[in-house]
Amino acid sequence: MEAPPVTVMPVTGGTINMMEYLLQGSVLDQALDSLLHRLRGLCDNMEPETFTDHELVYLLKGQQGNPFILRARRSLSHPTAPWHLRYLGQPEVGDKSRHTLVRNCVDVAASHSLPEFLNEMGFRMDHEFVSNGHIFRKGAMKIVVSKLSRILVPGNTENTEHLSLSYLVELSVLAPAGQDTVSEDMRSFAEQLKPLVHLEKIDPSKQRH
Amino acid sequence: MFQREEKQLEASVESLISRVAHVKNALHSFIYKLENEYERLTWPSVLDNFALLSGQLNTINKLLRNEKTPSFRNQVIIPLLLSPDRDEDLAKLTEQRVPVFSHEIVPDYLRTKPDPEVEEQEKQLSAEAARIGPDVAQKQIQTLNKLCSNLLEKLSNPREDRDAENAAMRQSKPSFNPTDTNALVSAVAFGKGLSKCRPPGPVAAGHQGQGSMMSGGPTLQQVTIGGGSGQQAGMGGPVAQQQQGQTGKMPSSIKTNIKSASGSMHPYTR
Repeated sequence: MEAPPVTVMPVTGGTINMMEYLLQGSVLDQALDSLLHRLRGLCDNMEPETFTDHELVYLLKGQQGNPFILRARRSLSHPTAPWHLRYLGQPEVGDKSRHTLVRNCVDVAASHSLPEFLNEMGFRMDHEFVSNGHIFRKGAMKIVVSKLSRILVPGNTENTEHLSLSYLVELSVLAPAGQDTVSEDMRSFAEQLKPLVHLEKIDPSKQRH
Repeated sequence: MFQREEKQLEASVESLISRVAHVKNALHSFIYKLENEYERLTWPSVLDNFALLSGQLNTINKLLRNEKTPSFRNQVIIPLLLSPDRDEDLAKLTEQRVPVFSHEIVPDYLRTKPDPEVEEQEKQLSAEAARIGPDVAQKQIQTLNKLCSNLLEKLSNPREDRDAENAAMRQSKPSFNPTDTNALVSAVAFGKGLSKCRPPGPVAAGHQGQGSMMSGGPTLQQVTIGGGSGQQAGMGGPVAQQQQGQTGKMPSSIKTNIKSASGSMHPYTR
Protein backbone atom coordinates (compact mmCIF):
# COMPACT_ATOMS: atom_id res chain seq x y z
CA MET A 1 0.00 0.00 0.00
CA GLU A 2 1.41 3.34 -0.89
CA ALA A 3 2.08 5.91 1.78
CA PRO A 4 -0.81 8.19 2.60
CA PRO A 5 -0.46 11.83 1.56
CA VAL A 6 1.59 13.96 3.89
CA THR A 7 -1.36 15.94 5.16
CA VAL A 8 -3.03 12.85 6.52
CA MET A 9 -0.02 11.59 8.45
CA PRO A 10 0.13 12.54 12.10
CA VAL A 11 2.38 15.43 12.93
CA THR A 12 4.82 13.89 15.33
CA GLY A 13 7.96 15.91 15.00
CA GLY A 14 8.48 19.60 15.27
CA THR A 15 9.77 21.93 12.63
CA ILE A 16 13.10 21.67 10.85
CA ASN A 17 15.85 22.76 13.14
CA MET A 18 16.66 26.23 11.86
CA MET A 19 19.95 27.84 12.67
CA GLU A 20 20.70 31.51 12.54
CA TYR A 21 24.06 32.44 11.04
CA LEU A 22 25.08 35.86 12.27
CA LEU A 23 27.75 38.49 11.66
CA GLN A 24 27.69 41.82 13.46
CA GLY A 25 29.40 45.16 13.20
CA SER A 26 28.68 48.80 13.69
CA VAL A 27 28.97 52.02 11.76
CA LEU A 28 29.22 55.57 13.05
CA ASP A 29 26.38 57.97 12.37
CA GLN A 30 28.38 60.05 9.96
CA ALA A 31 29.21 57.04 7.80
CA LEU A 32 25.64 55.78 7.72
CA ASP A 33 24.76 57.36 4.38
CA SER A 34 27.66 55.84 2.51
CA LEU A 35 26.84 52.46 4.03
CA LEU A 36 23.21 52.73 2.97
CA HIS A 37 24.21 53.68 -0.57
CA ARG A 38 26.59 50.77 -0.78
CA LEU A 39 23.96 48.37 0.53
CA ARG A 40 21.42 49.67 -1.93
CA GLY A 41 23.84 48.90 -4.69
CA LEU A 42 24.87 45.49 -3.42
CA CYS A 43 21.53 44.13 -2.29
CA ASP A 44 18.40 43.11 -4.09
CA ASN A 45 16.59 45.92 -5.76
CA MET A 46 13.61 46.83 -3.66
CA GLU A 47 12.22 49.94 -2.07
CA PRO A 48 14.32 50.84 0.97
CA GLU A 49 12.48 49.51 3.94
CA THR A 50 12.60 51.15 7.34
CA PHE A 51 11.28 49.70 10.53
CA THR A 52 10.70 50.69 14.13
CA ASP A 53 10.48 47.78 16.53
CA HIS A 54 10.06 47.43 20.25
CA GLU A 55 11.76 44.34 21.63
CA LEU A 56 11.20 42.91 25.07
CA VAL A 57 13.44 40.21 26.43
CA TYR A 58 11.82 37.78 28.86
CA LEU A 59 13.68 35.55 31.26
CA LEU A 60 12.47 32.41 32.96
CA LYS A 61 14.58 31.55 35.93
CA GLY A 62 14.76 27.94 36.80
CA GLN A 63 16.56 26.19 39.61
CA GLN A 64 19.57 25.74 37.38
CA GLY A 65 21.96 28.50 36.55
CA ASN A 66 21.08 29.59 33.04
CA PRO A 67 17.75 31.32 32.62
CA PHE A 68 15.62 30.62 29.60
CA ILE A 69 15.44 33.67 27.33
CA LEU A 70 12.66 34.54 24.94
CA ARG A 71 12.55 37.66 22.81
CA ALA A 72 9.23 39.27 21.95
CA ARG A 73 9.21 41.89 19.27
CA ARG A 74 6.47 44.12 17.96
CA SER A 75 6.42 46.73 15.24
CA LEU A 76 5.77 50.29 16.28
CA SER A 77 5.31 51.34 12.67
CA HIS A 78 2.70 48.65 12.03
CA PRO A 79 0.78 48.45 15.29
CA THR A 80 -1.71 45.84 14.09
CA ALA A 81 0.91 43.38 12.91
CA PRO A 82 1.32 40.29 15.10
CA TRP A 83 4.02 40.01 17.69
CA HIS A 84 7.09 37.97 16.89
CA LEU A 85 8.47 35.56 19.47
CA ARG A 86 11.96 34.22 19.03
CA TYR A 87 14.15 31.77 20.86
CA LEU A 88 17.90 31.93 20.29
CA GLY A 89 20.05 29.12 21.59
CA GLN A 90 23.62 29.20 22.73
CA PRO A 91 26.14 29.80 19.95
CA GLU A 92 27.39 26.53 18.54
CA VAL A 93 30.88 25.89 19.66
CA GLY A 94 32.14 24.43 16.45
CA ASP A 95 35.55 24.61 14.87
CA LYS A 96 37.12 28.01 14.93
CA SER A 97 37.24 28.12 11.16
CA ARG A 98 33.56 28.83 10.89
CA HIS A 99 33.26 32.45 9.98
CA THR A 100 29.88 33.25 11.44
CA LEU A 101 28.10 32.83 14.74
CA VAL A 102 25.71 29.87 14.49
CA ARG A 103 22.91 29.34 16.94
CA ASN A 104 19.62 27.54 17.06
CA CYS A 105 16.67 29.74 16.26
CA VAL A 106 12.94 29.24 16.63
CA ASP A 107 10.54 31.91 15.40
CA VAL A 108 6.80 32.09 15.91
CA ALA A 109 4.18 34.74 15.50
CA ALA A 110 1.97 35.60 18.41
CA SER A 111 -1.08 37.65 19.18
CA HIS A 112 -1.15 40.92 21.07
CA SER A 113 -1.74 39.16 24.36
CA LEU A 114 1.80 37.83 24.32
CA PRO A 115 3.25 39.92 27.20
CA GLU A 116 0.45 38.93 29.57
CA PHE A 117 0.74 35.31 28.52
CA LEU A 118 4.47 35.26 29.16
CA ASN A 119 3.96 36.89 32.54
CA GLU A 120 1.40 34.26 33.48
CA MET A 121 3.79 31.54 32.40
CA GLY A 122 6.33 32.87 34.82
CA PHE A 123 8.57 34.83 32.51
CA ARG A 124 9.75 38.17 33.73
CA MET A 125 10.81 40.98 31.45
CA ASP A 126 14.49 41.58 31.80
CA HIS A 127 15.06 44.50 29.48
CA GLU A 128 13.50 46.20 26.52
CA PHE A 129 14.68 48.51 23.80
CA VAL A 130 13.50 50.23 20.69
CA SER A 131 15.27 49.54 17.46
CA ASN A 132 14.74 51.51 14.28
CA GLY A 133 16.60 51.44 11.04
CA HIS A 134 16.74 49.92 7.61
CA ILE A 135 16.50 46.40 6.35
CA PHE A 136 18.01 45.04 3.15
CA ARG A 137 17.89 41.62 1.61
CA LYS A 138 20.20 39.77 -0.73
CA GLY A 139 18.92 36.34 -1.59
CA ALA A 140 18.66 34.54 1.72
CA MET A 141 20.80 37.08 3.53
CA LYS A 142 19.19 39.76 5.63
CA ILE A 143 21.08 42.93 6.46
CA VAL A 144 19.72 45.10 9.23
CA VAL A 145 21.15 48.53 10.03
CA SER A 146 19.52 49.70 13.22
CA LYS A 147 19.81 52.30 15.93
CA LEU A 148 19.15 50.99 19.41
CA SER A 149 17.42 53.24 21.91
CA ARG A 150 17.02 52.81 25.60
CA ILE A 151 13.53 53.12 27.05
CA LEU A 152 13.68 55.48 29.97
CA VAL A 153 10.28 54.83 31.47
CA PRO A 154 9.30 51.16 31.28
CA GLY A 155 6.46 50.66 28.88
CA ASN A 156 6.74 54.10 27.32
CA THR A 157 8.18 53.75 23.87
CA GLU A 158 7.97 57.44 23.06
CA ASN A 159 10.52 58.48 25.62
CA THR A 160 13.72 56.94 24.33
CA GLU A 161 17.37 57.79 24.34
CA HIS A 162 19.96 56.59 21.84
CA LEU A 163 22.25 53.97 23.25
CA SER A 164 25.33 55.05 21.33
CA LEU A 165 26.45 57.15 18.40
CA SER A 166 26.62 54.16 16.13
CA TYR A 167 24.27 52.03 14.17
CA LEU A 168 24.35 48.26 14.66
CA VAL A 169 24.81 46.33 11.43
CA GLU A 170 23.76 42.70 11.40
CA LEU A 171 24.04 40.20 8.57
CA SER A 172 22.00 37.08 9.20
CA VAL A 173 20.75 34.02 7.40
CA LEU A 174 18.18 31.51 8.60
CA ALA A 175 19.03 28.09 7.25
CA PRO A 176 18.75 24.47 8.28
CA ALA A 177 21.63 23.09 10.26
CA GLY A 178 24.74 21.84 8.57
CA GLN A 179 25.02 24.18 5.60
CA ASP A 180 28.50 25.54 5.70
CA THR A 181 28.32 27.24 2.32
CA VAL A 182 26.09 29.81 3.96
CA SER A 183 28.87 31.15 6.11
CA GLU A 184 31.19 31.33 3.11
CA ASP A 185 28.67 33.43 1.19
CA MET A 186 28.17 35.67 4.18
CA ARG A 187 31.86 36.19 4.59
CA SER A 188 32.34 37.17 0.94
CA PHE A 189 29.47 39.63 1.24
CA ALA A 190 30.98 41.06 4.39
CA GLU A 191 34.25 41.59 2.49
CA GLN A 192 32.43 43.90 0.13
CA LEU A 193 31.40 46.15 2.97
CA LYS A 194 34.92 46.74 4.15
CA PRO A 195 36.38 49.17 5.11
CA LEU A 196 33.15 50.99 5.88
CA VAL A 197 32.10 48.40 8.41
CA HIS A 198 33.80 45.27 9.69
CA LEU A 199 31.28 42.50 10.09
CA GLU A 200 32.63 39.79 12.29
CA LYS A 201 31.68 36.96 14.55
CA ILE A 202 31.27 38.46 17.99
CA ASP A 203 30.72 35.92 20.73
CA PRO A 204 28.32 37.50 23.23
CA SER A 205 29.56 35.42 26.12
CA LYS A 206 33.00 36.97 25.69
CA GLN A 207 31.47 40.41 26.04
CA ARG A 208 30.07 39.76 29.48
CA HIS A 209 32.20 41.75 31.91
CA MET B 1 66.72 56.23 -63.07
CA PHE B 2 63.53 58.02 -63.86
CA GLN B 3 61.87 54.67 -64.34
CA ARG B 4 62.80 53.68 -60.83
CA GLU B 5 61.41 56.92 -59.47
CA GLU B 6 58.31 56.48 -61.55
CA LYS B 7 57.85 52.98 -60.21
CA GLN B 8 58.36 54.20 -56.65
CA LEU B 9 55.86 56.97 -57.23
CA GLU B 10 53.33 54.56 -58.58
CA ALA B 11 53.79 52.09 -55.77
CA SER B 12 53.52 54.72 -53.06
CA VAL B 13 50.47 56.26 -54.66
CA GLU B 14 48.86 52.80 -54.79
CA SER B 15 49.48 52.11 -51.12
CA LEU B 16 48.35 55.62 -50.24
CA ILE B 17 45.12 55.06 -52.12
CA SER B 18 44.48 51.78 -50.26
CA ARG B 19 45.17 53.35 -46.86
CA VAL B 20 42.90 56.25 -47.62
CA ALA B 21 40.24 53.78 -48.70
CA HIS B 22 40.50 52.11 -45.30
CA VAL B 23 40.04 55.45 -43.55
CA LYS B 24 37.07 56.18 -45.76
CA ASN B 25 35.43 52.88 -44.88
CA ALA B 26 36.01 53.38 -41.20
CA LEU B 27 34.55 56.87 -41.34
CA HIS B 28 31.61 55.60 -43.33
CA SER B 29 30.70 52.90 -40.83
CA PHE B 30 31.24 55.27 -37.90
CA ILE B 31 28.94 57.92 -39.36
CA TYR B 32 26.36 55.27 -40.09
CA LYS B 33 26.54 54.07 -36.51
CA LEU B 34 26.24 57.57 -35.13
CA GLU B 35 23.28 58.41 -37.32
CA ASN B 36 21.28 55.23 -37.04
CA GLU B 37 22.24 53.42 -33.87
CA TYR B 38 22.87 56.31 -31.53
CA GLU B 39 20.43 54.98 -28.95
CA ARG B 40 22.37 51.79 -28.47
CA LEU B 41 25.80 53.33 -28.83
CA THR B 42 28.06 53.15 -25.80
CA TRP B 43 30.98 55.41 -25.09
CA PRO B 44 33.56 52.58 -25.23
CA SER B 45 32.51 51.67 -28.78
CA VAL B 46 32.75 55.32 -29.84
CA LEU B 47 36.22 55.36 -28.37
CA ASP B 48 37.02 52.21 -30.33
CA ASN B 49 36.00 53.88 -33.58
CA PHE B 50 38.11 56.92 -32.84
CA ALA B 51 41.04 54.69 -31.99
CA LEU B 52 40.66 52.88 -35.27
CA LEU B 53 40.66 56.14 -37.22
CA SER B 54 43.66 57.42 -35.34
CA GLY B 55 45.54 54.21 -36.05
CA GLN B 56 44.80 54.44 -39.71
CA LEU B 57 45.92 58.07 -39.87
CA ASN B 58 49.10 57.00 -38.14
CA THR B 59 49.85 54.42 -40.80
CA ILE B 60 49.27 57.02 -43.50
CA ASN B 61 51.70 59.32 -41.76
CA LYS B 62 54.27 56.55 -41.54
CA LEU B 63 53.82 55.76 -45.17
CA LEU B 64 54.39 59.36 -46.15
CA ARG B 65 57.49 59.57 -44.00
CA ASN B 66 58.89 56.38 -45.48
CA GLU B 67 62.23 56.78 -47.19
CA LYS B 68 61.05 54.92 -50.23
CA THR B 69 58.25 57.41 -50.74
CA PRO B 70 59.22 60.13 -53.17
CA SER B 71 58.39 63.63 -52.17
CA PHE B 72 54.93 64.38 -53.44
CA ARG B 73 55.59 68.08 -53.27
CA ASN B 74 57.61 67.83 -56.39
CA GLN B 75 54.66 66.52 -58.34
CA VAL B 76 52.23 68.97 -59.87
CA ILE B 77 48.69 68.17 -60.92
CA ILE B 78 47.22 70.38 -63.60
CA PRO B 79 43.69 69.86 -64.80
CA LEU B 80 43.78 69.62 -68.57
CA LEU B 81 40.11 69.58 -69.35
CA LEU B 82 37.22 70.96 -67.35
CA SER B 83 33.70 70.35 -68.50
CA PRO B 84 30.34 70.93 -66.91
CA ASP B 85 29.08 67.65 -68.36
CA ARG B 86 28.51 64.63 -66.25
CA ASP B 87 31.32 62.13 -66.55
CA GLU B 88 30.13 58.58 -65.97
CA ASP B 89 33.54 57.03 -65.42
CA LEU B 90 34.45 59.65 -62.83
CA ALA B 91 31.11 59.17 -61.15
CA LYS B 92 31.69 55.44 -60.93
CA LEU B 93 35.25 55.88 -59.66
CA THR B 94 34.18 58.22 -56.91
CA GLU B 95 30.98 56.36 -55.98
CA GLN B 96 28.74 59.15 -57.24
CA ARG B 97 30.43 61.77 -55.06
CA VAL B 98 32.06 63.66 -57.95
CA PRO B 99 29.83 63.35 -61.00
CA VAL B 100 31.20 66.40 -62.81
CA PHE B 101 34.79 67.54 -63.21
CA SER B 102 34.00 71.22 -63.42
CA HIS B 103 35.24 74.62 -62.27
CA GLU B 104 33.50 74.36 -58.94
CA ILE B 105 35.14 71.25 -57.65
CA VAL B 106 38.68 71.89 -58.88
CA PRO B 107 39.64 74.51 -56.26
CA ASP B 108 38.53 72.18 -53.47
CA TYR B 109 39.87 68.84 -54.67
CA LEU B 110 43.15 69.97 -56.19
CA ARG B 111 44.03 72.41 -53.42
CA THR B 112 47.64 72.34 -52.23
CA LYS B 113 47.80 75.38 -50.04
CA PRO B 114 45.87 75.62 -46.77
CA ASP B 115 42.95 78.02 -46.33
CA PRO B 116 43.84 81.71 -46.15
CA GLU B 117 42.78 81.90 -42.50
CA VAL B 118 44.85 78.86 -41.66
CA GLU B 119 47.77 80.34 -43.53
CA GLU B 120 47.46 83.54 -41.50
CA GLN B 121 47.48 81.63 -38.25
CA GLU B 122 50.46 79.58 -39.27
CA LYS B 123 52.34 82.74 -40.17
CA GLN B 124 51.55 84.26 -36.79
CA LEU B 125 52.67 81.16 -34.93
CA SER B 126 55.97 80.91 -36.79
CA ALA B 127 56.61 84.64 -36.24
CA GLU B 128 56.06 84.23 -32.50
CA ALA B 129 58.25 81.16 -32.39
CA ALA B 130 61.06 83.09 -34.07
CA ARG B 131 60.53 86.01 -31.67
CA ILE B 132 61.04 84.26 -28.35
CA GLY B 133 64.49 83.07 -29.18
CA PRO B 134 66.04 79.62 -29.14
CA ASP B 135 66.90 79.43 -25.38
CA VAL B 136 63.41 80.21 -24.15
CA ALA B 137 62.00 77.85 -26.73
CA GLN B 138 64.29 75.08 -25.54
CA LYS B 139 63.27 75.64 -21.92
CA GLN B 140 59.61 75.49 -22.87
CA ILE B 141 60.19 72.27 -24.73
CA GLN B 142 61.92 70.76 -21.73
CA THR B 143 59.12 71.72 -19.31
CA LEU B 144 56.54 70.24 -21.61
CA ASN B 145 58.51 67.01 -21.89
CA LYS B 146 58.90 66.79 -18.15
CA LEU B 147 55.19 67.30 -17.51
CA CYS B 148 54.27 64.67 -20.05
CA SER B 149 56.68 62.11 -18.66
CA ASN B 150 55.43 62.75 -15.09
CA LEU B 151 51.89 62.19 -16.16
CA LEU B 152 52.78 59.03 -18.06
CA GLU B 153 54.63 57.69 -15.05
CA LYS B 154 51.70 58.34 -12.74
CA LEU B 155 49.34 56.61 -15.11
CA SER B 156 51.48 53.58 -15.70
CA ASN B 157 52.45 53.00 -12.07
CA PRO B 158 51.13 49.82 -10.48
CA ARG B 159 47.78 50.04 -8.72
CA GLU B 160 49.29 49.34 -5.29
CA ASP B 161 50.79 52.80 -5.14
CA ARG B 162 47.46 54.43 -5.78
CA ASP B 163 45.69 52.15 -3.32
CA ALA B 164 48.22 52.99 -0.63
CA GLU B 165 47.44 56.68 -1.06
CA ASN B 166 43.72 56.01 -0.88
CA ALA B 167 44.09 53.84 2.20
CA ALA B 168 46.09 56.55 3.94
CA MET B 169 43.34 59.04 3.13
CA ARG B 170 40.62 56.78 4.44
CA GLN B 171 42.38 55.92 7.67
CA SER B 172 42.05 59.48 8.84
CA LYS B 173 38.26 59.12 8.85
CA PRO B 174 37.29 55.84 10.46
CA SER B 175 33.73 54.87 9.79
CA PHE B 176 33.17 52.58 12.73
CA ASN B 177 34.14 52.38 16.35
CA PRO B 178 34.94 48.91 17.76
CA THR B 179 33.96 49.95 21.27
CA ASP B 180 30.57 50.92 19.97
CA THR B 181 30.30 47.58 18.21
CA ASN B 182 30.91 45.74 21.44
CA ALA B 183 28.53 47.93 23.37
CA LEU B 184 25.75 47.43 20.83
CA VAL B 185 26.29 43.70 20.58
CA SER B 186 26.21 43.32 24.35
CA ALA B 187 23.06 45.41 24.50
CA VAL B 188 21.29 43.17 22.03
CA ALA B 189 22.65 39.92 23.40
CA PHE B 190 22.00 40.34 27.09
CA GLY B 191 20.81 43.84 27.75
CA LYS B 192 24.00 45.50 28.86
CA GLY B 193 23.07 49.08 29.50
CA LEU B 194 19.40 48.47 28.93
CA SER B 195 18.00 46.95 32.10
CA LYS B 196 14.91 48.80 33.11
CA CYS B 197 14.71 50.72 36.38
CA ARG B 198 18.47 51.09 36.36
CA PRO B 199 20.21 54.39 35.71
CA PRO B 200 21.49 54.61 32.14
CA GLY B 201 25.10 53.59 31.60
CA PRO B 202 26.68 50.33 30.53
CA VAL B 203 28.76 49.94 33.68
CA ALA B 204 25.97 50.43 36.16
CA ALA B 205 23.74 47.74 34.74
CA GLY B 206 24.87 44.20 34.74
CA HIS B 207 22.98 41.05 33.96
CA GLN B 208 20.19 40.86 36.42
CA GLY B 209 20.62 37.20 37.19
CA GLN B 210 24.01 37.50 38.80
CA GLY B 211 24.28 38.91 42.26
CA SER B 212 20.70 40.01 42.30
CA MET B 213 20.10 38.32 45.56
CA MET B 214 21.74 41.07 47.50
CA SER B 215 20.21 44.02 45.70
CA GLY B 216 16.57 44.85 45.91
CA GLY B 217 14.33 45.63 48.81
CA PRO B 218 15.21 43.87 52.03
CA THR B 219 11.55 43.72 52.90
CA LEU B 220 10.83 41.36 50.05
CA GLN B 221 13.55 39.04 51.14
CA GLN B 222 12.28 38.92 54.66
CA VAL B 223 8.81 38.06 53.51
CA THR B 224 9.93 35.24 51.29
CA ILE B 225 12.50 33.83 53.66
CA GLY B 226 9.76 33.51 56.22
CA GLY B 227 7.63 31.68 53.73
CA GLY B 228 10.34 29.39 52.45
CA SER B 229 11.75 28.66 55.93
CA GLY B 230 15.29 28.95 54.71
CA GLN B 231 15.34 25.70 52.82
CA GLN B 232 17.48 25.17 49.78
CA ALA B 233 14.45 24.97 47.55
CA GLY B 234 13.25 28.28 48.83
CA MET B 235 16.26 30.12 47.46
CA GLY B 236 14.75 30.14 44.04
CA GLY B 237 11.77 31.95 45.41
CA PRO B 238 13.37 35.23 46.50
CA VAL B 239 15.06 35.68 43.17
CA ALA B 240 11.90 35.20 41.16
CA GLN B 241 9.96 37.41 43.48
CA GLN B 242 12.58 40.08 43.36
CA GLN B 243 12.06 40.37 39.68
CA GLN B 244 8.39 40.41 40.27
CA GLY B 245 8.85 43.14 42.82
CA GLN B 246 10.69 45.24 40.31
CA THR B 247 7.86 44.94 37.85
CA GLY B 248 5.57 46.18 40.57
CA LYS B 249 3.75 42.94 41.20
CA MET B 250 3.29 41.37 44.59
CA PRO B 251 4.71 37.88 44.91
CA SER B 252 1.98 35.32 44.60
CA SER B 253 1.66 33.12 47.62
CA ILE B 254 0.89 30.10 45.45
CA LYS B 255 4.42 30.01 44.12
CA THR B 256 6.01 30.06 47.53
CA ASN B 257 3.84 27.24 48.74
CA ILE B 258 4.76 25.01 45.86
CA LYS B 259 8.42 25.54 46.49
CA SER B 260 8.20 24.73 50.15
CA ALA B 261 6.17 21.65 49.45
CA SER B 262 8.80 20.19 47.11
CA GLY B 263 11.46 20.88 49.72
CA SER B 264 9.64 19.06 52.49
CA MET B 265 9.31 15.91 50.38
CA HIS B 266 12.87 15.01 51.27
CA PRO B 267 13.10 15.37 55.01
CA TYR B 268 16.72 14.29 55.04
CA THR B 269 18.09 17.10 52.88
CA ARG B 270 19.06 20.27 54.60
